[in-house]
Amino acid sequence: MQATPLTGPAAAPIEAGPLAIELRNVARWYGNVVAVNDVSFGLGPGVTGLLGPNGAGKTTLLHMLAGFLAPSAGEVLVLGRSPHRDPGVYRQIGLVPEREAVYAFLTGLEYVRFNARLQGLRDADGAALDAIRRVGLEDAMDRPIGTYSKGMRQRAKVAGALVHDPQVLLLDEPFNGMDPRQRIAMMDLLGQMAEAGRTILFSSHILEEVERVGTQILVMVAGRLAASGDFHAIRALMTDRPHMITIRSSDDRKLAAALMTNPAVFAVELTPDGCSVQTAQLGAFRRLIAGASRTAGVRITEVFSEDESLEKVFEYLVRR
Amino acid sequence: MAMALIETSGLSKHFGQVKALERLDLAVEPGIIGLVGANGAGKSTLLKILLGLLTPTSGRASVLGMDSVRETRGIRQVVGYMPEHDCLPPDVGATEFVTHMARISGLPRTAARERTAEVLRHVGLYEERYRQIGGYSTGMKQRVKLAQALVHDPKVLLLDEPTNGLDPSGREEMLDLIKRTGTEFGITVVVASHLLGEIEQVCTYLLAIDAGHLLSAAPISHFTQRTPVLAVEVEEGADRLVAALAAKGVRARQDGSRVLVAIESDALYDMVRDSVADLALPLVRMQQERGRLEDLFRDASATASPGAAMVTGSPQ
Repeated sequence: MQATPLTGPAAAPIEAGPLAIELRNVARWYGNVVAVNDVSFGLGPGVTGLLGPNGAGKTTLLHMLAGFLAPSAGEVLVLGRSPHRDPGVYRQIGLVPEREAVYAFLTGLEYVRFNARLQGLRDADGAALDAIRRVGLEDAMDRPIGTYSKGMRQRAKVAGALVHDPQVLLLDEPFNGMDPRQRIAMMDLLGQMAEAGRTILFSSHILEEVERVGTQILVMVAGRLAASGDFHAIRALMTDRPHMITIRSSDDRKLAAALMTNPAVFAVELTPDGCSVQTAQLGAFRRLIAGASRTAGVRITEVFSEDESLEKVFEYLVRR
Repeated sequence: MAMALIETSGLSKHFGQVKALERLDLAVEPGIIGLVGANGAGKSTLLKILLGLLTPTSGRASVLGMDSVRETRGIRQVVGYMPEHDCLPPDVGATEFVTHMARISGLPRTAARERTAEVLRHVGLYEERYRQIGGYSTGMKQRVKLAQALVHDPKVLLLDEPTNGLDPSGREEMLDLIKRTGTEFGITVVVASHLLGEIEQVCTYLLAIDAGHLLSAAPISHFTQRTPVLAVEVEEGADRLVAALAAKGVRARQDGSRVLVAIESDALYDMVRDSVADLALPLVRMQQERGRLEDLFRDASATASPGAAMVTGSPQ
């Protein structure tokens, strides 16, 4: 996987189906600054995490999808249409921007209702109340947004973005400023919407939370798409990085000796944590752990790997 | 018994109708302390009272035995504060700014310069320290904020959401820096954060406040204790594993790709191993379940004894 940005993104297959979002060789530059560089991907229903270091082009990408920006090159399609200056598409897009651009003098309910009216909803009041309830803001909905905490403002923005029940929901760091309970609730909400067939793309720096919401990711690095798809599949494509599995047992040395005889294993190290195994064939190794330790007469009490998490996959993609 | 560094008793702060803090009693001992709470739970209010910026409605707070209302000058000499919001002047360099902050804290000119060089190196700002702060990245700005909080050699450091806005590698570096600051300088660090994962990673002690009250105060290890439940994750065939274990009289429950088993004796490990081996299942992970900080913020029904409750249900 060392080669990704140079030779094109490593794309784990995205399930077939109608693509709600499609980018074809999209670039966007500001003067001499290239924010997004030759990016292509497609997304269907479900939740996808948009990851990347600061300045990687995530916000620019979301703004192109929301229709704020036209691409400098290539084609951006949302539900088959170019969103730039096409209010028809806006009816199917909900956007939660990163900036706290909300009117402090409006109450939460008023803000959401304005969004509902802007979207031309017939029952703006009903829809607004409904959206307020979905984000759990009923108690504060009649207070001006200026008096809200950060987490409350964030939820008001989310309510405003989903008031018209859009097919496509774009969220730029939606969990920012939310407290633990609100984060859990928001993750659940995104999960429910995904199950209802919506296409959700959200950017975040908190990888453990992204991992909780889903396994589909897009990783941007310096304007390029470094990887896309299921992060487990992306990890499996990194064939130059052996998988590390640690096993704690009743007799680590004996287990190490037994495992070393298997061709799927190419290195074993005894550490204070147990017996650390390196393998290039993860699937094969996983199938032999239990049998091999039984044959060796060793009791295994713990098996875990540290380098299969989203955090590690991200680190491998970004740090090269 | 170590001295309580920060103490509050019956501390209340009301803003009109809003009760930010309501009779809060705390005693914080040295260490790296995570301060969590819902938005509006009173975290920032508590920090501001400790800094002497707000006067309590009733009750009292003290830092190193100094009263937060009457001895604010003394407190400021021993407390470093890293605010959450963007508060740096854009048109000066980090060296100039941090030296200035050191001078405000009463350090002589030479000492201020030396300490500044030292803390900027500690936070990892090198060549860029003479450049204007306005051109800094978020990560660099956070480092300057930390440096100014450290420059007068405080005994207590209050950090308000120190990783806000940082990307994953920036976060990792900041967390590492906080940990080093706490251990190398031997000072007490209070980290207010919403990210339970990072509190678990760097803190030794947790203070959770909710609606102005103390929700929980205990060492982190208390929340992340092992539970008597073994989680066995397999790539496929979790249902078959449950059935195989049930046939051996082991109570097991499927949870997605995981099988949860009550650890009743050490022999259980062998039964799990043999069942997995017999079925030739790909074993992804096998680990004793741990409690999580998050459980504190789940519904009350789910917080009680997360492990035990999980497997007492009838085997499927």
